[in-house]
Amino acid sequence: MKKKIQLTLNGKITTLEVPSHRLLLDLLRDEIGLTGTKEGCGTGDCGACTVFLNGKPVNSCLVLSGELDGTDIVTIEGLKIGPELHPIQKAFIQDGGAQCGYCTPGMLMMSKALLDENPNPTEEEIRFALSGNLCRCTGYAKIIQAVQDAAAELRSKNV
Amino acid sequence: MSELTVVGKPVTRVDVNEKITGQAIYGYDLVLPNMLYGKVLFSPKAHAKIKRINTVKAKQYPGVVAVVTGEDAPWTHGESIKDKPFLAQEKVRYIGEPVAAVATEDEDMAETAVKLIEVEYEDLPVYTDPEEACKPGRGAIHENFDKYRKVEFIVGSHLPNIAEHFKLRTGDVEIGFKESDLILEERYFVPIIQHAAMEPHSAHAQFDKESGRLTIWVANDAPFRALHEITEALNMPKEKIRFINPLQGGGFGSKGGLKVEPIAVALAFHTSGRPVRVKFNREETFISTLTRHEAVVYCKSGVKKDGTLMAREMTIYWGAGAYAEKSPTVCIRGSLPAPGPYRIPHVKVDGYAVYTNKPVAGSYRGYGIPQGAWACEQQMDELAKRLGMDPVEIRMKNIFVEGDVSYWSERLHAVGLKETLIKATAAIEWGKKTQPTKFGTKIGKGFACIQKPTRSPTTSNAGVLVNSRGEVTVLAGTVEIGQGCNTILSQVAAEELKVPMDKVFMHPLDTDAIPYDASTTSSRSTYHMGNAVRRAAIHARQQIAEAASPMLEANVQDLDFAHGKVFLKDQPQMALPIGEVVRRKLGTNGVVRGDGSYTYEIGKDLDLETGHSDHASAFYMYATQAAEVMVDEESGRVRLLRMSAAHDVGKAINPLNCVAQIEGGLAMGIGSALHEEMVVDNTGKVRNPSFLDYHLVTSLDVPKMIPIIVECPEPEGPYGAKGLGEPGLAPTPAAIGNAVADALGVRVYDLPLKPENVYWAIQNKKKKDAA
Repeated sequence: MKKKIQLTLNGKITTLEVPSHRLLLDLLRDEIGLTGTKEGCGTGDCGACTVFLNGKPVNSCLVLSGELDGTDIVTIEGLKIGPELHPIQKAFIQDGGAQCGYCTPGMLMMSKALLDENPNPTEEEIRFALSGNLCRCTGYAKIIQAVQDAAAELRSKNV
Repeated sequence: MSELTVVGKPVTRVDVNEKITGQAIYGYDLVLPNMLYGKVLFSPKAHAKIKRINTVKAKQYPGVVAVVTGEDAPWTHGESIKDKPFLAQEKVRYIGEPVAAVATEDEDMAETAVKLIEVEYEDLPVYTDPEEACKPGRGAIHENFDKYRKVEFIVGSHLPNIAEHFKLRTGDVEIGFKESDLILEERYFVPIIQHAAMEPHSAHAQFDKESGRLTIWVANDAPFRALHEITEALNMPKEKIRFINPLQGGGFGSKGGLKVEPIAVALAFHTSGRPVRVKFNREETFISTLTRHEAVVYCKSGVKKDGTLMAREMTIYWGAGAYAEKSPTVCIRGSLPAPGPYRIPHVKVDGYAVYTNKPVAGSYRGYGIPQGAWACEQQMDELAKRLGMDPVEIRMKNIFVEGDVSYWSERLHAVGLKETLIKATAAIEWGKKTQPTKFGTKIGKGFACIQKPTRSPTTSNAGVLVNSRGEVTVLAGTVEIGQGCNTILSQVAAEELKVPMDKVFMHPLDTDAIPYDASTTSSRSTYHMGNAVRRAAIHARQQIAEAASPMLEANVQDLDFAHGKVFLKDQPQMALPIGEVVRRKLGTNGVVRGDGSYTYEIGKDLDLETGHSDHASAFYMYATQAAEVMVDEESGRVRLLRMSAAHDVGKAINPLNCVAQIEGGLAMGIGSALHEEMVVDNTGKVRNPSFLDYHLVTSLDVPKMIPIIVECPEPEGPYGAKGLGEPGLAPTPAAIGNAVADALGVRVYDLPLKPENVYWAIQNKKKKDAA
């Protein structure tokens, strides 16, 4: 059954008519064409499809479209600050945080969620925050480094 | 030429911007106009005759455009043995084998329609243990094995279910054992694991009846080989088939050969020209694409009191799964160096690739080296222990050094192994005991060494285009799977043409536009394609120099290149931008094209009776990794405290990328050492086909990693470079296994080193000691 929903997607009010059972992940990728959000498992185990739902990170493969009316969604396509890359994105470039890049959008979103809550995380806190985001290429070292660098950069800006 | 400007520098990845913004389009993301959605019906039986398939209900379901079964696709494929049908024919050989497929107008319909296909099976005996499946009297999984088309190096066996038998014969092991003071014989086991690239498998195909053109969009790591396999299977003109490679979200060996492609192709012949997309979800990727070979390894070694290795005899059963895939070459290239990087006068190896009714095994980063090393490198430590020697000492005594002749008759050069051993062990303070801080735990250290060959002989071709704006486009068939080849190859082109990195672009991969390359496998790309791109860039540079010569009124040999310009060596102010040279010579739209090719020719082919060859590999990669672990004696839980990984890369074209490869490989190796295993029960069913139950390494599992680059230049390699991609995980399990044994005084023979395996090893030792 199709349902009419209105949501804010990357800052823009969007009206859609979608089957209620459609996953947010599929809604983004197949209906809207935002393929930056990646599908790694479809069962909430890998974190590649992480997006912000009302300011909190969620696995978009575990959210049904029927629940989305009136929500605020931010995807990787909305991570930039205006035309500027987000400091987390810059840190991933500088430190080599991406290899194949498939887990990268989810990693970036989860990293942002961490830094929003905790601007000065320890290495252990970063490891813990990212433990639901699987990466098969990097061994995580450069990703952790990038989050640390981004945190420092963000703190220096806020001062 | 002047000194290196870009090569050897930690250049930022050229493909990173699109990846951090979500703009990168992977195979899984690709949407084509008017596309149909494919869905596959997989076999629920591990071994059964197909008695009947009824597609009537599925065909009548609304939105269904095509339904295909093995009858509609009477073709087989396989890299060395053509044993694998596009869709099951007459029988199924594993749970997860594609049996039928539908193409529908939308994805929801496909899910429903495929379930309407009815298949009637008649059960056959199921073989899940490779050691059992090849015992005399066992039924054949492939009744028509003898009739399959095969490559010439396949060696059969009188035993059942053998896809390949590799033999290595050097000296006489019986004499070697007689001359030994200590003989040790053990059995080791390595379970099935999976690549688990973060992007699941998918393929798109379109067939245009009018032109007879078949186009396949797929993130395949060897598009030219895939093209060749499809050509051979369909008996179509090669020129009619085109592979377009979207970006690939990791592969590690899983995305070569043909996986989803045959299903997409079979459907595309029945959709009146409309493209079809077939995506596997994660569970389907687990059960129906590819795995790493499980291996049973028997290893027997004879050694003198002073540690000198006298003889080594190994029998390895490689569990191939239901189809041969790359098993024959994994069996050959994994069994050949399995006795380890040591001088051993008497060696005998028998490697058997054995068919089972399990998911198909094939190429996996490391290509058979980790399995051999798990056995051989642990046995080196056991020998040392019983001789009262330090594990470093016994290896130093036997290890390959420059100029040694290997036990397969090859004179070795550019052997950086010793340096990797010294540096890796030093990095974890070898010899210094760490006291456990937690009650009930023990701390130990261990390491392991490996040598890895590359696929040989192979060819890479490349083109380098220079336009009138001085921009350089590289045409190379190497697939960017995350390993960083686009950056490395751009660096090579930039170096030879002396242009800044931001002027170099990689042409998208399309077999219609790109010259032939063998494959993006076997850690071969930096060496082979690096050489080809280098030659192509030099060819382009020569043409530019010749064109510039009259413009600058100078001889070609008096010209040099720097900062995107060509100039007179002794009058650098007499200069022209290279783009300007192209423009004056060929006009604004003119392009200079350089071509380059590199082929490594082996000497004598591998002798099928002895396994000997004087040039078995274009180059060898050497590595040592060392681990410090803390083991909980009560639970058997292993915690990694730190790990070093020293890799001989020949020359680090990009040190940042080398470290990235080492760390990534090491993490993968840690997973395979500590918890990864694809559990297949004795009915052939995979019990853990999800990331919830199949434990990949997470950010919490990775210890402090100490990557170490060793450079022992390979004279034939570009700037001295070898390869690096695969060895990162090869010594890891054995290094950790040795550390666990050092901590506990108990050896664990079966991977992974999960708590229960370690626990039972401790209990068994206690029982043995009590008795």
